[in-house]
Amino acid sequence: MSQLLRFGLILGVICLAATLVLAVTYEITKPKIEEKLNIEEEGALKEILPNADSFNEKTIDGIDYFEARKDKNLAGYCLRVTGAGYNGFIRIIVGIDPGGVIKGVRILEQQETPGLGAKVGEEAFLKQFAGKEARGLEVKKNIDAVTGATISSRAVTDAINKTVTEFLTQISNQVRHSR
Amino acid sequence: MKLLGEFVKGLWRENPTFRIVLGLCPTLAVSTSVTNGIGMGVAATFVLVGSNIFVSLVRNIVPEKVRIPCFIVIIATFVTIADLFMKAYAPLLSRSLGMFVPLIVVNCIVLGRAEAFSSKEPPTKSILDALGMGLGFTWALILISAIREALGNGTILGINLSRNFEPPLFMILAPGALLTIGLLIGLLNYFTMKAKSKSRTF
Repeated sequence: MSQLLRFGLILGVICLAATLVLAVTYEITKPKIEEKLNIEEEGALKEILPNADSFNEKTIDGIDYFEARKDKNLAGYCLRVTGAGYNGFIRIIVGIDPGGVIKGVRILEQQETPGLGAKVGEEAFLKQFAGKEARGLEVKKNIDAVTGATISSRAVTDAINKTVTEFLTQISNQVRHSR
Repeated sequence: MKLLGEFVKGLWRENPTFRIVLGLCPTLAVSTSVTNGIGMGVAATFVLVGSNIFVSLVRNIVPEKVRIPCFIVIIATFVTIADLFMKAYAPLLSRSLGMFVPLIVVNCIVLGRAEAFSSKEPPTKSILDALGMGLGFTWALILISAIREALGNGTILGINLSRNFEPPLFMILAPGALLTIGLLIGLLNYFTMKAKSKSRTF
C-alpha cells in the first residue's frame, strides 16, 4: 500500500474514533449545559424586570421573547437578541417596556477579546442602554463604545436596535390583526 | 520500585513548571486565584493522563511522519471532553478559566510528554509519568496562585485573610505572575544547589 494511503488511513481512523467519542460526550453533557443556560437566562429576566411576577415564553416571526406580566397586566417584554461580534455570536437579553424603552440589557454569552471586547458584558457599558429608545440606538449618537472595542460595541447596539424594531413592528401588526 | 520513580519525578526533580519550565503561558494567566489553579491543574492532569494512555497505545501503529497530527487529535479530543464536562458540571469555574481550558491543547507539557515519553514507553509507565507531571503542575499552580491571590487580593480560596491589608493590585496582573514564578524558580534552584553542595562535602 502506498505510504500516502497508509498515512491517510491511520489518521482517518484516529479522527473517526475521536469524532465518535466527542459526539457521545456532547450528547451526554448537552442537557446539563442547556439547563445551566436556562437558569442563567431566568436570572437575567428577573434582574431586568424585577417587578414582573410571570414570564411567558413566546415567539413571533423568529424572534424569541418573554412576555412579562405583573398581576396579569403587561409589564414589558424580554427579547433574546443575538449579535455578530468580533469573535463569534453574542447572546443578549433585552428588557423593554411596551413602548420600546429599554429597561435593561444583559449579556448571556460572548467570545469577545478579554479585557477589550469582553467589556461589553460589564455594567459600565450596559447601563447606558437603560431608559433609551431601542429603535434609535446607535454607537457615537447615543451609546459610547468601549474604548478599543468598536466592533463588539456596535454588534451589541445594532443587534438590539434591529431586533427590537422588528419585534415592535410585528407586535403592533399582531394587535392590529386581532382587532 | 522503579515504576514509582516515573511517577515521583514529575512532582519535584522534573517538575514541569519549576524544572522543565513548560506550560508557563496558562500558568501565568490562570494563577490569579487558588480555585482557578486547582481547576486548571485537575483539567490538565485529566488531559495528560487520558491523551498519554492513547498515545502510548498507538505508538507502534502511528508512523513517525504523521505522529504530530495524530497526537494533537487525541489531545484535542480529551481537552474537548474536559471542556464539555466543565461547562456542564462546573460552569462558574469554566467561565473563570475562560479560553484557557481549550488552550490546554497547546499546553507544552501535554504535547511534550506525548512526544518525549509516551510515544516511546508502554502504557503503564506513561500513565505514571502523566500523573506525576499533572500533579507536579497542579501543586506548582496552587503555590503560585496562593501567593498571588493572598498578596494581590487579600484572600485565599475566596476567604478574606486580613481586614487591614490593602493588596498591591499588580500581583494579580501580569507583572505579579512573572515576578512570582521567576523568584520561585530562583529560590528552588538555590535550595537545591545548597543541598547538593552539602552532600558533596561528605
